[in-house]
Amino acid sequence: MSNKALLRRILLAGRGRLVPLLLLLLAALALHYLPHTPLISLQQSQFDRYQRLLPRARDQEPVIVVGIDSQSLLDHGPWPWPRSLLAQLIDRIQAGQPLALGLDLIFAEPDQYSRQTLGQRLPSLSPQVLQHLPDNDQQLAKRLARSPTTLAVVGLNNKLPGSRPPAHPLPMFQQDVRSEQALPRFATALVSRPELQHAASGEGFINGTQEENNQANTERGVLRRVPTLAYINKQPFLSLPLDMVRQALGNGEVVAEHDDAGMNAIWIGDYRLPTQANGELLLHYGQANSHYYLSASDVLAGRHPPETFTSRFVLIGFNSTGLQDRVITPLGDSLPGIDIHAQVIESLLMGAALKRPHWMPHFELLTLLLAGLLLISAVPVLPPKRAVFAFAGVSSLLIGGGYLAFLSGHWLYDGPSQSLLLSPLFISLLGNTLIAADTRRREAERQLQHSREEAARMAGELDAARRIQMGLLPAPRELFAQENRFAMAALLEPARAVGGDYFDCFMLDSQRLCFAIGDVSGKGLPASLFMSISKTLTSTLIPRHTDLGMAVRDIEVELSRQNSEYLFVTAFIAILDVDRGELEFVCAGHDAPLILRQGRIKKIDTAAISGPPLCALGDYPYTAGSAQLTAGDLLCLYTDGVTEASNGDSMFGNEGLADALHHQLGVSNIEQATDALRATVRRFEAGLPPADDLTLMLLRWDGPPPPAQSI
Amino acid sequence: MNLQTHEHAGVLTVSVSGPIDHVTSEEFASALDESLKNHPGQPPKVVLDFSDVTYISSAGLRILMLVSRRLKGQAGALVVARLNALIQEVFSISRFNLIVPTYPTIEAARTALGG
Repeated sequence: MSNKALLRRILLAGRGRLVPLLLLLLAALALHYLPHTPLISLQQSQFDRYQRLLPRARDQEPVIVVGIDSQSLLDHGPWPWPRSLLAQLIDRIQAGQPLALGLDLIFAEPDQYSRQTLGQRLPSLSPQVLQHLPDNDQQLAKRLARSPTTLAVVGLNNKLPGSRPPAHPLPMFQQDVRSEQALPRFATALVSRPELQHAASGEGFINGTQEENNQANTERGVLRRVPTLAYINKQPFLSLPLDMVRQALGNGEVVAEHDDAGMNAIWIGDYRLPTQANGELLLHYGQANSHYYLSASDVLAGRHPPETFTSRFVLIGFNSTGLQDRVITPLGDSLPGIDIHAQVIESLLMGAALKRPHWMPHFELLTLLLAGLLLISAVPVLPPKRAVFAFAGVSSLLIGGGYLAFLSGHWLYDGPSQSLLLSPLFISLLGNTLIAADTRRREAERQLQHSREEAARMAGELDAARRIQMGLLPAPRELFAQENRFAMAALLEPARAVGGDYFDCFMLDSQRLCFAIGDVSGKGLPASLFMSISKTLTSTLIPRHTDLGMAVRDIEVELSRQNSEYLFVTAFIAILDVDRGELEFVCAGHDAPLILRQGRIKKIDTAAISGPPLCALGDYPYTAGSAQLTAGDLLCLYTDGVTEASNGDSMFGNEGLADALHHQLGVSNIEQATDALRATVRRFEAGLPPADDLTLMLLRWDGPPPPAQSI
Repeated sequence: MNLQTHEHAGVLTVSVSGPIDHVTSEEFASALDESLKNHPGQPPKVVLDFSDVTYISSAGLRILMLVSRRLKGQAGALVVARLNALIQEVFSISRFNLIVPTYPTIEAARTALGG
């Protein structure tokens, strides 16, 4: 077997469905392990596209960010600021009674201007002076204790110098053991100084997604998910923004909602935020907005009325080039990191999150398999063009379904990956369809070629048969070239290559002319074979009998012996005494010949002696009739190919023939007259194909010969 | 070709219509065979009602001849009734009425068959 044939056999195995089934299996595997394939970036970018299409509406602004920006640094000196200045800033904010305050800052070291630090740096300062200096950390701590405040902590996996656990874990928090294991865990944390820690009412972590799970997030630096809950030194903590809400609710109750697969939401008071199994929030971003950003410098200067902060969440953090971290969002915005905290608070209040539950990948696997099986069952029975439409339809359903799922409920359903994974399968199926179509085309071409060859061969054989059949017919002009007592012409045109009509003419002796016309029932090849036998028997048997009736009976007997197909022949057989004009004839079911005599058309009267066609009965006692011709009589013998010639509406008929014959009055060339009759019939048919074989025979008796001249 | 049949007193009458030429003769033959198969008279006596037959060619006559031979072989008979002038002329010229007798009416044909 050649390689090509082997390949073809593999492709067409299992009625062309084995390879597509294997490809479907591969597609399913690829979808199952999608996060480990390059397809993950296609999926991420599709999910980002959903968000760009429909970002989260931000009609309310519950959060205000007080940013330590470039202007603030210019007005109040470089970071770190003395904590007395921060205390002043918080003072301003607290004047408006915010819901909660969050500091995206960590004060791990003592203040730069503390007595201890200054004493070390400036040993010349007298202890009295130092005693009178204000304690900045104390001032800040005092402010922090005045309102619900959350400090930032950073969870650490390894102990750093000065690291210790935060002081405010969630009180009375119950967690299912199974879902607890999926949450981020840290051994210790980077926290603020103890006096500040204890002054604040809460602590929230500001870590991003942990590194090992961060494959997707680091891709192109887009931040798509943030943790909500983490364990630090085995104690549960909320993220900074969520803890701010908890503080605002007055130490609100926190409950982790979970099912068999892990966490699926977090409750803070009456607010519910859907999460992934590992407690991460898939952020549904709103459009970037700078309305809620205030400069710390302006706040310090009292440029905003205290009401600005009333009933708002207030975040304090960096918003200055060089100090801030920036993140890229799926919407394509570059935002200061602190903006994520604001978006998380908004999400919790709205209950808004993107939903990709643990069962969604299984559902995608199911739709992939269904779509694949649909294609495998449908494509092989469709013509290629429709197959392409079918695939386009399935792809549109998968991709469109994804958009619909997002628009209706913020579900993240990945259509494009499935469509992409199904395309090798489809190409393989389409290939099979094309191979099958090609095979059919080749087979059709082969058969066409075969039938052409067959037709050509038949045509060749029929052509030969036609030549033989026409060769059987006598040529009156050559036969009677020397004759001056009569003139004869005849023609035969088969409707097909060969036909069932015949005519004959020969001299029995110097005085008696035998002539005959016949028509075998049916036409084409079977009729032509029978015609040959009839014609041969007629010319052989007539000379053996003295009585024409007996001769015809003999012909019928012989013919019937060789007639397995029950064909029959109508015939008019006659003998003319060309010296005297005496006509003797037998009619076997044939049309009586016409006579044109002195300008008038008559029929030879055959009624008395006419019998059925030869072989119709097989043993009919034919008898001969007779008639006396007048000099100049023109006899016309014909078959029904003449009288039954049709123009689609009517038949040429006896009247048509009589009329046409009348026009030949006075035409001396009998061959011309025959041709003219034929032409008239063909004109009447008006281009329609002849229905039957056409035979015409004209015989003119020119009268008794002049008496021989005696010398 | 769909043939209407009607049996009365052991004689089957079959109504034929349209031209019976080289094109339709085979169809006519098989339809007629079917009718005879469904009504196997003993002996089979059949009248063909030709009132709606417009034309008959030699191929059509051959079918009549074949059926007639077969029925005669079973001691039955085939006759034709109600021929139009053209068809009657065809039967007369070809003397086919010697093989398949013709009658002006169905009743005459039935009477002739002894039905």
